[in-house]
Amino acid sequence: MIWAYFYCYQLTLDAHAQCCEAQEYADPIITYSDKDNCVIQLNQAATKAGIERGHGLAQTAALCPHVNILTFDADAEKRTLTALAHRLYPLASDITLDSINGIAIRLDNLLQYYGSYDILWNVLTQEFNHAGIHYHFATAWGIEAAKLLAHQGINKCGYTQQDIARLLSTCLLKHSELDSKTLSTLSKVGIHNVGQLLRLPVHELGRRFSNTVIQYLTALRGETFPQVTLFRPSEHFESFILLPYEVENTAHLTRYITQCITALEHYLRARNLLTSLLTFTISYREGQPLIFSVSSATPQSSLSSWLSLVSLKIENITLLAPATSIALHCEQFELIEEGTTDFFSNRFTTIAQKQLIGRLKAKLGDTSTYTPALGDSHIFEQQTCTNVVTEKTVQYTAVSPTFLLNTPTPLTTSTKICFGPVRLESGWWEHLNYKRDYFIAQTDAGVRLLVFKDENQSWWVQGVYS
Amino acid sequence: MKTSLTALYDNPNIWRASQRTSCEQKYALGHQPLDHALNGGIAPSGVVRISSHTGIGELSLFKAVLTEPQKHKLRVFINCPAIIQAPWLNAFGIDLKQTLAINTQSDDDALWAAEQCLKSTACHCVVLWNNRLTAKTARRLQVASTHNNALCLIFCDNPPDISLPISLDLSLHRHEKNVTVDVLKQRHGWPVKGISISLPWTPDNTAIQSAMHKSTSQQQAFNSVI
Repeated sequence: MIWAYFYCYQLTLDAHAQCCEAQEYADPIITYSDKDNCVIQLNQAATKAGIERGHGLAQTAALCPHVNILTFDADAEKRTLTALAHRLYPLASDITLDSINGIAIRLDNLLQYYGSYDILWNVLTQEFNHAGIHYHFATAWGIEAAKLLAHQGINKCGYTQQDIARLLSTCLLKHSELDSKTLSTLSKVGIHNVGQLLRLPVHELGRRFSNTVIQYLTALRGETFPQVTLFRPSEHFESFILLPYEVENTAHLTRYITQCITALEHYLRARNLLTSLLTFTISYREGQPLIFSVSSATPQSSLSSWLSLVSLKIENITLLAPATSIALHCEQFELIEEGTTDFFSNRFTTIAQKQLIGRLKAKLGDTSTYTPALGDSHIFEQQTCTNVVTEKTVQYTAVSPTFLLNTPTPLTTSTKICFGPVRLESGWWEHLNYKRDYFIAQTDAGVRLLVFKDENQSWWVQGVYS
Repeated sequence: MKTSLTALYDNPNIWRASQRTSCEQKYALGHQPLDHALNGGIAPSGVVRISSHTGIGELSLFKAVLTEPQKHKLRVFINCPAIIQAPWLNAFGIDLKQTLAINTQSDDDALWAAEQCLKSTACHCVVLWNNRLTAKTARRLQVASTHNNALCLIFCDNPPDISLPISLDLSLHRHEKNVTVDVLKQRHGWPVKGISISLPWTPDNTAIQSAMHKSTSQQQAFNSVI
């Protein structure tokens, strides 16, 4: 078996570089872990300023006062690593994620698809470069050995037993996963590098050290089969961007939303899918995150069409607090259908209608636009509804007004009756107590109103005839 | 000799008073004196502003325009004075499946929605109730409707007294049984005032009243005989 291990030593910085401008990245930036009070990751400009890994915050500030500090967050690193694994999954089958910044990929079973190790290696490293991830790499006969070599910073590929053994022998023990007690015990007897350790007879070591150490050593020699769970991609699409600064204005979010939707577009195109529902989650520093969905009338995958719908939606959204991150989640997918071409112009009108309704609802809200439909009742208030209740018409439509007021208002202007009366007693089965005499009355200005006289002999206006 | 005025004559947007109208196809409204004053009827695209009280039959006047042409396209009603009723639309002759009702929070949103509907090529007619139309917004709607072959009817009950760059400007008043239409401004035509048309738009009791009147006169004749 040949495994390759990629040690991604600055995932937070790389994720930050994706969403900030190039000139911002030229400033010194460090990733600081407040648990250990030390600098974990730093970019080139920071190295030039004299900062080194392991420095405390005070030392860093003294060396470089205007350094940009990112907080180390294990979850965010894991997320970036998972996104990277999603990108690699179409290229390699056996991928496993190791802690929060390592990816191990098995190479020997892919040889029959790629032809040679060099081509395979080129493909993998190109994907890493496209993603903008910095890494140390190495290959070995097992995951632990490859990890050891990668942490050492070997950055060379050895595919034969001799090469791997030669590279391993030069590695220092401190990069291995042995605990500090074992390391200090070994150093007391003068064993500092892996080559020396591997030359020692195993049964002697077995008498002096615990089982875990022996297991690790046998794995290091490549004598056991790795028992790891392989990575499987999730069935929905997830994209997460930690914003480089807190965004207070929704207009500034557009750039990051575009990034998310571009990633989605690539995902959909590669799988020949379309979607009609996107869900965005905007998180604040404190409090509940804001979740909103954007749906389109027809399933689509292109960036421009989704971006126009999303920008219409976020125009109406105000952020309650500065936003710290934005995530896009998408799980409803449909296959692209090769529809038959249709020469009737009505077909284009139907699509244009659906797109129009989608745009109107995105900007004005879901309840703003509706198709009036016939209700199944003689009561005027129930004769129009937004869901299609019945296909047949209610018999009594002659007196139906053009516009019905939300609630009946008392009749105050002087009117003359032109039509009526129509007595309506309805709803007694629902205890509605509806007993009205309806008339059409005309005011002095010539306006015809739907008026009624209720049981208490008082007059009300309910509608207008247009 | 080509005069400098020839360029003006050739422009289709400029016409001379002695010319009769262009032969563009128009939607007849169904009332002969009005259609004659409008030189055939309403143009199939463009903005028509109607100043009138709500409820004197102003929508019923446009029955032919709203119901007959382009049945597969949408009719959109934006910001109606109250909830528009499906049975009335059905009886009027509009297909409910091709109707859309939109309610917006502000006038600006309503104008935006109208422009989107006109530009979408899916609408035959957009009917909008708006009292605050300016020359700039009217021009935008006019351009959107003429470019996309759609009609826009705008109803105002208290319009500002300004001239708008639109196809047709009408004003309606009702006197008893008749409606008086004033054509304040029209493309390719002159303004005409005081066109009176009879427009029954609701059911009324005239049949019963005439029957009762007939029976009382018969009763009187009967009584006089006896």
